[in-house]
Amino acid sequence: MDAAAPVMNDLSSPPQTQQIDLDATDQAIIDLLRKDGRMPFRAIARALDVAENTVRARVRRMEESDTMRVVAVTDIEAAGYGMLLAIGVQVEGRSPETVARELAAIAEVFSVNVVVGAQDIEILVVAEDQAALNILITDKLGAIPGVRRLTPALALDVLKNQPDWVPFHAA
Amino acid sequence: MRRKLDGADRAIVERLSRDARVSNREIAEQLGVTEGTVRGRVKRMEEEKLIRITAVTNIDRFKDAALAYIWIEVERSGQTREVAAKLAEIAELGFVGVMLGRADILAITMVRNAEHLAEFVHQRISVIGGVRGTRSTLGVNFIKHDYRMARIVS
Repeated sequence: MDAAAPVMNDLSSPPQTQQIDLDATDQAIIDLLRKDGRMPFRAIARALDVAENTVRARVRRMEESDTMRVVAVTDIEAAGYGMLLAIGVQVEGRSPETVARELAAIAEVFSVNVVVGAQDIEILVVAEDQAALNILITDKLGAIPGVRRLTPALALDVLKNQPDWVPFHAA
Repeated sequence: MRRKLDGADRAIVERLSRDARVSNREIAEQLGVTEGTVRGRVKRMEEEKLIRITAVTNIDRFKDAALAYIWIEVERSGQTREVAAKLAEIAELGFVGVMLGRADILAITMVRNAEHLAEFVHQRISVIGGVRGTRSTLGVNFIKHDYRMARIVS
């Protein structure tokens, strides 16, 4: 865990904010920042043929309303994690939402979705190695009350991983 | 194997993972290093694909957006890589992984509803040569996604 601790801290929950409508300029700014998050405001303004102050104001508006953030995404291997798994979670005796929130509090569990179907929750997890995975599955995930059964699949090769849309109210 | 971030890299990334629009100078002042050090390390980490600086948008801000997990089985195991490569070209898919267990490939996308999911799978996934069958799961509540972590591929 130590290797990745600085980038694995839980996000603080932002306050509830107003929903804003995005126009074509906002969307064009997002598209440019997706490609290069550190593109200077001046270069964005030039590319879109608008004033630099407009770009600055639009970005601030989208950030302050919790609509968009520009962030650094760290490669999981560079962060020290050698394994990525998608685990289906079946729940009994407690609500899936409650169990999902407890799963979300675990740093190695980086994505949590309550789903409908054969599984009640789908999670994505990372582990440093096989020994760490054993502890994560048996002692952490399996020990949560309400977790009946875990059905894991190991990612052998990730060809694409661009989570451009995410919930900002992460646990 | 990609190299692991060292302590100085991690300190910079920690700052950038909260707000990557912060200037190199500000990071340098906070960490007590030169601006050139910050600039050089950020550039190197980006070039080595250890980090990616990008905009992420809040899924809660989009009406009728749900995450869908699509589990794909291929006709023959030897086709897995080829099918996964074709899937990775589909812009709407945010994740494509070759899996061990549950199915051959996992693809994740964002859809409006169950109908949209069925249409997407039917028109875009099932038509790919080598796809034997799919199983889809629709998310009803997206509780967490730590956007600071991903497998950086391209």
